[in-house]
Parts: sequence; C-alpha cells; structure tokens
Amino acid sequence: MKNKRIKEDIQHKEWEQSFIKSKDFKKIFYYNQKTDVRFGLTFMATLIDENIIQDGILPNLLEDEFREIEDIKQLVPVADVQVCDDPSLIEQKLMNGYVMLTIETELKHFGFIAAQKEIVRGLSQPEVEFSVIGPKEAFVESMGQNLNLIRKRLPVKELIIEEFTLGSLSKTSVAMLYMENITNEDNINTVRQRLKNVKFDAITDSSYIVQLISDNSNSPFPQLLDTERPDRVAGILAEGKIAIVVDGSPHVLITPTTLVEFFSSFEDYFLNWILSSFFRLIRLFAVAFSILVTPIYVATLSYHYELIPKDLMSTLITSRREIPLPPILEALFLELTIELLREAGARLPTKVGQTIGIVGGIVIGTASVEAGLTSNVLLIIVALAALASFTTPVYRMGNTIRLLRFPFLFFAELWGLLGIVFCFCVLLTHLTRLTSLGRPFLEPLYPPRVVDMKDALIRLPFEKQSRRPIYLRTKKPIRFSKKKAKKQKDIDE
Amino acid sequence: MKEQPIPERLQISPFLVFFMVMSIQIGIGVLGYQRIIAMDAGYDAWISILFAGGCIHVIIWMIYKICDTAGGDIVTAHKYIAGNFIGKALSAIFIGYFILFSLTVLRTFIEVIQVWMFPEINTFWFAFAFMALCVYIIFGGFRTVVGISFFGLVLPAYLILTFGWAIKFSNFYNLLPIWDHSIKELLTASYHMSLTFIGFESIIFFYPFIKEPKKSQKWAHLAVLTTTLIYTTLAIITFAYFSEEQLSKQIWASLTMWKIVEMPFVERFEYIGIANWNLIILPNVCISVWIVSRLIKRVFNIRQKVGVFFIVAVVLFMIIFLDTRDKINMLNDSVGKMGFIFTFIYIPLLFAAVMIAKKLKRGKKK
Repeated sequence: MKNKRIKEDIQHKEWEQSFIKSKDFKKIFYYNQKTDVRFGLTFMATLIDENIIQDGILPNLLEDEFREIEDIKQLVPVADVQVCDDPSLIEQKLMNGYVMLTIETELKHFGFIAAQKEIVRGLSQPEVEFSVIGPKEAFVESMGQNLNLIRKRLPVKELIIEEFTLGSLSKTSVAMLYMENITNEDNINTVRQRLKNVKFDAITDSSYIVQLISDNSNSPFPQLLDTERPDRVAGILAEGKIAIVVDGSPHVLITPTTLVEFFSSFEDYFLNWILSSFFRLIRLFAVAFSILVTPIYVATLSYHYELIPKDLMSTLITSRREIPLPPILEALFLELTIELLREAGARLPTKVGQTIGIVGGIVIGTASVEAGLTSNVLLIIVALAALASFTTPVYRMGNTIRLLRFPFLFFAELWGLLGIVFCFCVLLTHLTRLTSLGRPFLEPLYPPRVVDMKDALIRLPFEKQSRRPIYLRTKKPIRFSKKKAKKQKDIDE
Repeated sequence: MKEQPIPERLQISPFLVFFMVMSIQIGIGVLGYQRIIAMDAGYDAWISILFAGGCIHVIIWMIYKICDTAGGDIVTAHKYIAGNFIGKALSAIFIGYFILFSLTVLRTFIEVIQVWMFPEINTFWFAFAFMALCVYIIFGGFRTVVGISFFGLVLPAYLILTFGWAIKFSNFYNLLPIWDHSIKELLTASYHMSLTFIGFESIIFFYPFIKEPKKSQKWAHLAVLTTTLIYTTLAIITFAYFSEEQLSKQIWASLTMWKIVEMPFVERFEYIGIANWNLIILPNVCISVWIVSRLIKRVFNIRQKVGVFFIVAVVLFMIIFLDTRDKINMLNDSVGKMGFIFTFIYIPLLFAAVMIAKKLKRGKKK
C-alpha cells in the first residue's frame, strides 16, 4: 500500500525532474504546531523574496490552526493567494515567483502564494531625452514601476492596460496602453493582432518589438517611436495614440507615429510656442544640412566648380591645392573617421570615450589637414554635419541619418547635383510609401492636412490645439471646447 | 457587366487633383516654349497663352461631363458609346500615346542635361535609373504617385522666384505695341502652346480614383488657371528680358534666364535649376506610366505590375534609338500634335458621342 503511494508520488512528480537539477529549486517541509499537518513549500529561491516567506507566510502557517489548503486564504496576509488543482500551472507559477504550498493529505490541490522579488532600479534622469525644463523622471526596467509612472499621470479609468505574454522562452510581459474612449478601434485591433502574431522565442527589449511589429521592417526608418519619458507617453496617450510597455525595457514604444514626430523633442511643449517652433525648424534644417552638405561638396568640386563664385573659389582652391585625393575619397575618409569616433565613443566607458573624442577630433583632424590628406574646408563641413546630426531628439532617427549620408555621397559622385536630387527623389518615394500602423508616415506633409500642421514643423500655442491629429481618427476628435469667440477688443478698451 | 468600384482607401482627396493636374502640365515644355510661340505671334504671344488656357477650361468641363455620364474613366466611356470590343480597341490607342509621352519627356530632359550640365552622361543608364525609380513609385500604388506629384510641385515651387532676377534687367516696352498680329497668327501660337499645356487630359484616366469626383472639378479648373497664369507671367518676363531677335536663338529661354541669377554662394544657378527639374519631370513620367499600366490592365486584363515592366522595357528600348537632336525634335513635334488632336479634337468628339448615347439610352428606357 505504501509502495503504491510512493510510486504514484514519483509519477506525479515527473514535472520535478528538470527542476531538481537547478540549484535554486527548493522544497522544504514543515509541521503545523497546532494540527500537526505536514506541508511543503516549493519555490525558486532566485525569484522570490525570502522576507515574504519568513515574515508573511511561515509564522502564520506554523502557528495558526491550519488544516486544509483552503485555509491559507484566511491565514496568509498576502493579496495574491490562489488555490487550484491543475498541475500544468505549476511550472508557470513557480517561474513567475510564486511559492507553491502542498499538504500530504490533499495531493490534488495546490496553493500558490505570490512572493516575487522585485529588483527595482531607482528612478533616474532621462539620458537620451534629457530636458532642462520639465520632469526628470525616466522609465526603468521594471514594468510595474513604469506603469505606475504612467498611471499616476493619467488617473482615469479610461486608460486601459492590456497584457500579453510574448516569446516562448523569455515569457516577456508586454502591456498595451490606450484610452478607451479616445483611441481608434482599428488601431487598437491592429496592434493587438500584431503583438499576438509575434513569433520569436526571446524578447529581451522593446527594440525587438519595434522590429517585429513595424509595417516595413526593411526600412532604415524607425516606424515606432521609443521614449524614456513618462510625461511624453502620457501626452501621446491623451492624443489618442497607443503605448507599448515591455517588461525589462526602459523604453516605451509609441505608435502610430509620423516622420515629423521624430524631430520634435518633448521639451518643445514646455517652452513658449514661438521658441519651440523656432527650435524645431532649426532641428529640421540641421538634419537636411547634415545629410546634404558633404554630398554637395563632392558634387560641386567634382563636376560643377562653375557654380562657386570667384571669391569663394579661391578659398577652396587654396585649401585643396595640396590634396592628392579626389573629393569623394577625401570626403569618405573624413566621414568614416567621424563614424569610427562615434562608434568607439559609444562602446567605451564615458571617461575613456571623452578622451577618445578629443584625441580623435583634434589630433586626427588637424593632423590629416597638415599631412595634406584632406582640406580644412571639408573638415569644417564634416564636423558641422556630424554636430547637426546630433540635434535629432530621437536616438534611433539619429542613426538613420548617419546612414543616409552614404547613398547621397555615392550618387553625388556619380551624377553630381543631379545625382543628389535623384537620391532625394528615391528617399521621398520611400517615405511616401512608408506607413506606421497603416497610417501615412509623412502626414501632415503628405497627404497634406493643414489642420495637423499645428503640431508638425512648428508648434502653435495650446489654445489652438483643441483638436486631436486627424490621422489618428480618434473617437473624440475634439480635445476641449474652445471658449466662444470673444468680442474683438479694440485698443484702450 | 458592372465594374468594380475603387475601394476608398485607395482614393485621393478631391483637392489633390489640383497638384496632379499642375504637376503633369508643368514639365519639359516650360523650359523653352517662349521661342516657339513668339515665332508666329511675336511679342503678342502672351495673348495666345491666355486663349489656350481659356480653351482648356472648356475641355476640362467636357472631361468631367464625360466621366460623370459614363460613370468612370475613358475605358468606361468608350464602352458606353461603342460597346465592349470596339471600346477596348479605342482605349488601346492611348497606350501608345502615353508611352510616347513619357518617352518624349524623359528623353528631352536628358537632352537638356546633356546640353547644359553633363555632355557625357549616358542616356541609357540615366533613363534606366529614372525608370527604376518610377517602378518603385508606381508599385506604391496610386496614392504614392499622387504623393510624388504633390512634392514634385511643392518642393521646386521656389524656382518661380528665381525668375525675379531677370526682372531687374527687363524692358517691358518690348511688349508694345500690343495686338499687332493677326488672329490667325495668334491662333497658330495657341496651337504651338499645346505641348506645354497637355497633360491635364490625364484626369479622364484617373477619374475613378478621386473621392467625390464632382468636388474635384473646381480644383482642376483652378490648377489650369494657375498654370496659365504662371506661363503668361513667365512669357511676359521672357519677352521683356530678351529682344525678339535674341529670343529667336534661345531654344531653352527659361534656362538662359537663370544665368543672370547671382547669389553670394552660387554663380551659375541653372545647374541647381536643372538638377531640381528632375523632381518636376518625375511626376510627368510617373503619371503617364501609371496611366498606361492602368490602361493595359483594363483593356487586356494583364496585372498592372507586369504592365509596368513592359512599359519600362519599351521606353528603355526606344530611348536607345533617340540619339540626335533632330530625332528628339521630331518626337516632340509629333507628340505635341498627337496631344493636340487628342485633347482638342478627340475629347469634344467623345463628348458629343457620349451625350448622344445618353439621349439614345434614355429614349430606349422610355
């Protein structure tokens, strides 16, 4: 009789086979002091908080009257306590940081008590999207903390948080956030469907999701915006967009987006509208400058030197007189040097990185001019272009802009100015074809929507922002009702 | 057999017709139309431009009437008047016309590049790259084609301002005396304007792709009005800038005028202008290639994607043989003539036929 029971026990515990191999798998048995019931606690030591077991679970289970599993609901002072009889749940629960409780008399029932160990990094300042004015909180790696930061800013019941578990190995929790009464239903369904369709085993960061659910994964342009600022997420949720929070990632994704959004910093909303519009225009100009200036140098000096006025020409000739290389090689040499510096600076610890920057920037730059490898005019141009490319507020877009310069250089060498315009046409076509969540990526430039221009190239004052962007097709297109038009005031009235 | 309507997500807003019409109208002709119209009507030719522009408004009205009555594009209209088989045969003619149209535009543009910028640029390879870009655009669907038309008009719009430099050196007394040419001469000049003006007839092909097409009519008229005004202003500036004898030697008068533009950092502006013209030519070629591929689909039931490759192959094949100035000129003249016949003779005839057919059909119903 006893043998049979043991046999059954072994069969029943087949699921334990691979668990036992792990060092952090713990199974401990205790006796209740009042009823003498023998019970066991099973848990993964690495996932749970031992303080909860010692202070919250064990004292009650040992000292209070405890007869059957159902009793734990009264005895254990933990909110998340469940009792079930489905053995298939065991693995999932243990791996999510639950403590499993078993009693010898009730083999078919299991109690699960939540005791997750939360390792939360303290809130820090945003590093990529730092702003002088405005909140200094940034997202951290814990989803619970991140959701808290967002929910605090939008304390309404309409903010819905839907959770998914993605990745057959990583079991990453991914949350989709939207405003139930504002966000377009089609957009919500599309995101939900795409998240459900994600087929990848280990999702370790939100960047994976960006690449897995974007409309065109063969485009160098990011189609989902990622941010580390909770205020930005709250802002876009109120506009009617969707946010995706991934556990373990300090970056929250925003969708659908448009191209101009990648050039708008959230600080634009903290400044007066005139200033912020000015800065936005400067940024757009900087991007165009950064992409085009070296190709234009190559094009003019290779083919169209007639373009340059006499006075300017003499300066250029003086600086290039000693250079043995054709303009394209000269430009490629400097551009690649800057790219190398950037890569090296990004991979090294901050302090070493700074040194490398100085060494590279000053020493290599000056030396290459003095050695007669590059002209100092080009050195200025390339350095300015690199500087301009750093003005993009979204890091991902900055990377894209780094890359875009090279096809332009190629076409500039091939067909001069004509090649630059041709390459620009290709880029324009690509952007026109691109969509984010099925919505045109270039909106409001194309399709032209004058109403949406209020927060695109420039940002108009908040009183003018009474409507949500048209392309989001929100359920409530009007954000707030404007006051009735006041009687026009005259001077001195 | 009822035709399938175009789903709404593929259609364009009515006001985009403005950009479509203008961007296909403004193309290669505007670079050198001044000399051609001044040959007959002298410096009264600006009147001819206004007259030609006026006529186009009537044609646009007819196009909208035809499309509205037949309930679709020109293929539907042909079917409406002549039945399925003959209708398709009639439509097939336009495949040839638009292939020639795109070929002319592209080859003339390359000619301009070769004369003004790169004497040594390889015609075939540039055409190849250009057509590859067209394929990429057209594969994005009609909305992408319209998008490129939009940018192809808006982004180079600043070029208009550069003609302002010429005003400083202009003498507007050149234009006087007004009206010293006969009506016949003026009409001939209007006829010669046709290559510069044609393109607007493409509405009859993309009509089903317009959301609420009736609302778009005013935009089409506005587009033609704007183009007419731009052409007239540019012609007047040109006439004031060049003397009549000088102008007769300028094949690309607009380009010559750019030579006077001077900025602190730019000496020869025509290089920038011609490079920018790439963006203006692109919608011309794209829209016409799109129209041909659409016609091939409608007439022969061949997939549009296959059709596009066929057209590109034909254009690239034909462009090899267009190697001399004479051949290009001949092609320009004949496409201009074909365009004239199509827009100013065929469309009114079609209009009359559709109206008669409508009366007859209504009679039958009674």
